[in-house]
Amino acid sequence: MTLPAGVYAETYDQDQALIRTWPQWICLICFMVLLLSLPLYGGGKVIGFMNVLWITLIAVVGLQINVGYAGQVNLGQSAFMGVGAYAAGALTLHFDLPIWLTIPAAGVIAALFGALFGLAAVRVKGFYLALTTIAAQYVFAFAMLKLPKKWFGQIQGLRLDPVSLLGFQFDDDVSIYYLVASISTLMIYGAWGLVRSSTGRALVAVRDNDKAAAIIGINVFYYKALSFFIGAFYAGVAGALWAYYIRYVLSEMFTLWLSVWYLGMLIVGGMGSILGAIIGTVVIRLLQEFITYFGPWINQISFFSSIGGGIIFSSMNMLLGCVIILFIIFEPRGLAHRWNIIKESYRIWPFPH
Amino acid sequence: MISLLSHIINGALIGLLFALVAMGFVIIYRSARVFNFAQGEIVILGAFLFWTFSQYWELPIWLSLILAFCASVVLGLIIERVILRPLVGEELFALVMVTIGLLVFIRGLVLVTWGAEVHFIPPVFSVKGVKVGPLMIDRGLVYGGAFTIFMSILFSWFFNHTRLGLEMTAVAEDHQIALSLGLNVKRSIAMAWAISGALCTLSAIVFVSGKGMTFMAADIGLAALPVALLAGLESIGGLVLAGLLIGVSMGLAEHFLDSVLQGGVGAVFPFFIMIIVLLIRPTGLFGWRTIERI
Repeated sequence: MTLPAGVYAETYDQDQALIRTWPQWICLICFMVLLLSLPLYGGGKVIGFMNVLWITLIAVVGLQINVGYAGQVNLGQSAFMGVGAYAAGALTLHFDLPIWLTIPAAGVIAALFGALFGLAAVRVKGFYLALTTIAAQYVFAFAMLKLPKKWFGQIQGLRLDPVSLLGFQFDDDVSIYYLVASISTLMIYGAWGLVRSSTGRALVAVRDNDKAAAIIGINVFYYKALSFFIGAFYAGVAGALWAYYIRYVLSEMFTLWLSVWYLGMLIVGGMGSILGAIIGTVVIRLLQEFITYFGPWINQISFFSSIGGGIIFSSMNMLLGCVIILFIIFEPRGLAHRWNIIKESYRIWPFPH
Repeated sequence: MISLLSHIINGALIGLLFALVAMGFVIIYRSARVFNFAQGEIVILGAFLFWTFSQYWELPIWLSLILAFCASVVLGLIIERVILRPLVGEELFALVMVTIGLLVFIRGLVLVTWGAEVHFIPPVFSVKGVKVGPLMIDRGLVYGGAFTIFMSILFSWFFNHTRLGLEMTAVAEDHQIALSLGLNVKRSIAMAWAISGALCTLSAIVFVSGKGMTFMAADIGLAALPVALLAGLESIGGLVLAGLLIGVSMGLAEHFLDSVLQGGVGAVFPFFIMIIVLLIRPTGLFGWRTIERI
């Protein structure tokens, strides 16, 4: 990455810093203020959209570490998220624990479940690993519907009351907004730290060539399982927040298709970059909102009137499929790559190189 | 006792149907080294095309059958040419994701074109059940089982004894070596997709003939995964045995566990078997090579 003229690193810390120039600080602070003051001028719909976006961001950033950085195919992210949601719901309902304890606990429980299937990654690769994570999805859905009703409510799911922290009730969209925004920001910052650490470099080494990584002394088994652990931890936290936001947990909310959407977000944004995960999530969520908004209108003018409300669901599927296929064939490095090119040419303008 | 017997026989026949769908996977995987997750979607696309030809256009059944087969062969060729040819040599993740993207896309396409309501597929075989002793068995499934066994013998012979089949087997073993020996790798892969498309329509017709179907029937594609994996992803003859094993164990699980767990065991049981196979012997029963581990 090139830097503006006159800005150069003298130490390793400077070289690895996320923010290097004062305009970047100004942008960051302005953006933070914008996000924090959003409830002041954003309507209820915007806040609801942002809440789902923040939660999705956590799950997709976790998936990015697992898939984009460590190179492990994972089709079970939504099952891991579901485990987190059920764990948070059950801990709150049955043990009445405070949320500063249940959210990390949900993360850890989901992470253990994820690492269990990640252990398969120690034995198999590629297609076989994809199959294992699909199996995780089925095991999750089956277990949640069959375990004793007192634990997870079987087909009725879990219903939660609004939670509180330090006497502050999270009972409407705005209060939830601050909860999910702060946790999500923290998790994303953590991900940025993680991928620049020695752990992150080890994960990338395992992804790029696991034999070579083993030769230079990286414990390949450990890092493969660890990548599942971290990815599922993020999913678990996202699931816990989802449970507290929707206040209802049911295994049908966490389907294989949700995992496919998350992977689609990664592909659109760009593999192997936290920024890519964020761009992809925002772009796909906006597209989804767009279709939900214009779906009924398309329905009126189109000749497909026989499907009724199904048009939204089905055209979303077509869109997702198209987006995944087109990006893989024509822009495998995703929008983050495009964004870097734009940034680069802005910096060196008016010169071509 | 009769319930047990009927669970076993029905399970075995459903297992053979899964094996027929799985045969499509295996033929593609053998020559293209692509695992086509969209197989179930291609199956229902074939069934819906058959519905369109026979019910909507009101063509005679035999003509609709021929048209549906032709359409699915063309579909297989188009998918290969448009989507997978540009990705030759790409990393595995791209191949996994592109077929999943295809799955989602076809599912949306089917919903947009045919909608979510139940479509009644005209019976190709007589709908009267086959009576075996005290049991009534679905006639379509019996024919399906016979087709599976016949097809597996046919393709085992084709891949081991004909020039074209041997070429495809050689391509399956190593693309580069096959290329350097002057074999036409592209043609072999295209052939595999065409055969697989036809097999998909065959399993679709066995699966839904004389029944009502919605797009949800596509889940058979995922249900066939464990069969393909247990057989070993490269073995066509092994599919019959794997299908029987999984089907019978599924029937037994339904018989003995459904009362304990309030139903629904049958649908999940193959995936439990799949996890066990993945953990103990990822090459399956008759897989070719030692699987690439680490």
